[in-house]
Amino acid sequence: MVRLRPILMECEAMPTTAADASLIAELTELLGEEGVIHRHDERVVFECDGYVIDKAMPDVVAFPTSTEQVAAVVKLCNRRGVPFVPRGAGTSLAAGTLLPEGGVMINLTRMNRVLEIDVRDRYAVVEPGLINVWLTEALAGTGLHYAPDPSSQVACTIGGNVATNAGGPHTLKYGVTTNHVRGVELVTTEGEVVWIGGLVADQPGYDLAGLLVGHEGTFGVVTKIVVGLSRNPEAGRTLLAVFQTIDDSVSAVSDIVAAGIVPAAVEMIDNLMIRAVEEAYHFGFPLDAEAVLIIEIDGIEAALDREARAITEIVQARDGRIDRNIAWRTRKEPEYKSIWKSRKSAFGAIGRVSPTFCTQDGVVPRTALPQILRYMGEASKRYGLRIANVFHAGDGNIHPIILFDEKDADQVKRALEASRDILAECIRLGGSVSGEHGIGAEKIAMMPLLFSPDDLAAMAALHEALNPGGLCSPHKKIPMGGHCVEQVAPGRHAPA
Amino acid sequence: MISDDRSAWPDAPGLGPLGDGRCASAAFRPKTVAELADVVKAEAALGGAIYPQGGRLALDYGLPPGRPGAAVDLTALADVVDYPHADMTVTVQAGMTVAALQALLDEHRQRLLFEVPEPDRATIGGALATAVCGPRRYGLGRPRDSIIGVSFMTAAGVEVDGGGRVVKNVAGYDFPKLLTGSLGTLGVITQATLKVRPKPTASALIWLTAPTVEPLDAHVAALNASSVRPTAVELLNPSAATHIVGLPGLKTRLWTLVVGIEGDPDSVAWQVDEFRRETGADFEVVRDEDEVEPLWAGLLDFQTGPAPLVCSASLRPSRVAAFLAGLDPERWAAKAHAGDGVVWLNALEGWTEDQAVEAVESARAVAVRDGGNLVVAYCPTAWKPRLRVWGEPRGDWAFGRKVKQALDPDGLMNPGRFAGEEALRK
Repeated sequence: MVRLRPILMECEAMPTTAADASLIAELTELLGEEGVIHRHDERVVFECDGYVIDKAMPDVVAFPTSTEQVAAVVKLCNRRGVPFVPRGAGTSLAAGTLLPEGGVMINLTRMNRVLEIDVRDRYAVVEPGLINVWLTEALAGTGLHYAPDPSSQVACTIGGNVATNAGGPHTLKYGVTTNHVRGVELVTTEGEVVWIGGLVADQPGYDLAGLLVGHEGTFGVVTKIVVGLSRNPEAGRTLLAVFQTIDDSVSAVSDIVAAGIVPAAVEMIDNLMIRAVEEAYHFGFPLDAEAVLIIEIDGIEAALDREARAITEIVQARDGRIDRNIAWRTRKEPEYKSIWKSRKSAFGAIGRVSPTFCTQDGVVPRTALPQILRYMGEASKRYGLRIANVFHAGDGNIHPIILFDEKDADQVKRALEASRDILAECIRLGGSVSGEHGIGAEKIAMMPLLFSPDDLAAMAALHEALNPGGLCSPHKKIPMGGHCVEQVAPGRHAPA
Repeated sequence: MISDDRSAWPDAPGLGPLGDGRCASAAFRPKTVAELADVVKAEAALGGAIYPQGGRLALDYGLPPGRPGAAVDLTALADVVDYPHADMTVTVQAGMTVAALQALLDEHRQRLLFEVPEPDRATIGGALATAVCGPRRYGLGRPRDSIIGVSFMTAAGVEVDGGGRVVKNVAGYDFPKLLTGSLGTLGVITQATLKVRPKPTASALIWLTAPTVEPLDAHVAALNASSVRPTAVELLNPSAATHIVGLPGLKTRLWTLVVGIEGDPDSVAWQVDEFRRETGADFEVVRDEDEVEPLWAGLLDFQTGPAPLVCSASLRPSRVAAFLAGLDPERWAAKAHAGDGVVWLNALEGWTEDQAVEAVESARAVAVRDGGNLVVAYCPTAWKPRLRVWGEPRGDWAFGRKVKQALDPDGLMNPGRFAGEEALRK
């Protein structure tokens, strides 16, 4: 299965030259035989991440197990002028770990420990390769959890979450990764080790932790992370609202927010996705619904029923009905787990509908959801492609999934154009081209549509100051000029 | 008379105060962003400096101004740019006062998520530049958690935008957070987009006293596992309790735990009862609207003094009680955002510089040992060098200097004042 994602920057020359033997020898000296992969057949799996359009094999993949080893590898790369990129689980949907011109991939998956959990002071110190959900599992019984919960949380790493400022369904109420990171240990792009922020908030100086989260690897390699931990909700209601039209469903989302209700999550799933998800997970979603919303509220039990009633009235006013009302005290209850498993695994189910698809990530103001959904419906007709939807409606964060046949070059072209149009419409409606997946290498060409040359120059100045020479995570996040990714217009053909 | 001479400080009063007794060589009140750009470019050409000002409440905050320059009053840039209330976001220019913004939000029963003392004078730009917040930060977060978009005038005289107007956005570097708390040293904030939330319909402050801090600290710890979900958790030493309380009936001169609860009337009432059940403690509850708001305001205003010396320490929450207990209550009124590990210290009357240095250094040593720090928010200018107002230097300041160098290479913006600049003076 090829999952195609649009705004393709096709690079004519993406050499994947074999690393020279002395580089491999030096890396092996630092990390041991087991810490270095350089054979072609072993490297193939690292030629792309969750964004599979652009591929470029790293010359060598390093597996450090300590901060000191990361620093040593970074210094070595600097000394030799070799590009390098950190990588976690490789779930990036925006080519965040691509090395377009080859180089050293620093794979952090062997640095995956929980180093400390402090319940009283509500923080944990973790290594970057720790899988997101493992932290919450490690916190079982403490009454605490780590709030950012990307749909890929069973696979993605917290280091990767820090790089992209990852979100998830429950960020609507609890905030995204940056709202929960107190500090990081950073190996700078030149190989120095520095703590940015720390255990204690409110340190004097710039909010550098705020700058670091979402850097997409361009400021160095994060080797430890101090995350704040959140109280588990006291109680909650998870409602399944069913609608006869997509328009009604997203209008209801806007109405809920406008009514001053702050749900913990509001997720929208359209009919195409409902059928795929139902076939895969058998939760019991109504197959005839055009759209459903998973609406979750949490808080003090005493307030929940009233809030649930208010939501029910809004849903009914949009000709919807409440199909389920799951009352829960912990997030362990089976029906609760089941509905969220269905939602979070939705992307895995889409393969049942179409062999090839591209998932986009865009944001609009929440009140503009009806407009963007209508626009996507029109785009679907205009380009003759089906578009499925499963997304974080409460945040205005859309994830249209464009279905096509990769063997049909014209369909591929139309898929890419449809994606670009949808993102451009997000910008026109006052939104953004990425809510949580990142810019990576994929969306660099969209940046000038969103930001002025002055804005981009200021970002480039920061990039140059903190990544002099640009060896670390090249061609990511900010268009820096002079490289192949930027020279190509968006919406190019996918390679056959 | 506006002078083009930037070689020496003008005599008082000059063109108005810059802070710490230094005066402006020129003063401007731009009415448009384009005018502000012209001011910045002209000042850069003169080799001067830009000192952004809003409500002028924090002129003495930080180190003294580093070199002669212009005071730039942002209060004429005070428009509402966009208030799509149904999106729960608002975009305003930096010179708008916090009170004016709150009045706007009141029309839709919404509020800002961070508290700002003296809202009638304080501007949004100033509040963001100083990253000010209050007791509700425990439940509602800090300004960094509210801001989603920023525009700022760089030293090159161009307005740069970062972030946007949507609540989730990872395009570009996070200028909104970087500018928040940067004290005008990276650029002049001209506009910001903030998340807002519905106003709660009920509020209560639990006032629980004890002769020592230990039982109160146990309650603070227990809140981590409680069914009660407060918006604020404040711990006051006896002097602070006396300093704040203006309401009849509340016990003073004792250690005091204040738990702030907000929500709808049912959930607030339930939580007050639940807190009583869980703690088994006797306490007073302030919840009448005409009493609870002044008490919230009193808790916030504590951090602005007035006092000859005001400090804020950052600690792990678990160390707050011991830190408070280690302070001489005759010399310090001290109040903590106990759930967040932030302690505000107001010196009581009658300090000498030597006494201040000794007391600050000893309290700071405790904080630093715990991974925290202690900043002097206000003191006489003459004491600043010895008090080291920005606290113990941090390992990430060198990284911060690279950021500064990238955005303001000639040091035009609010020079001399921010953390780490002591080292640069030498």
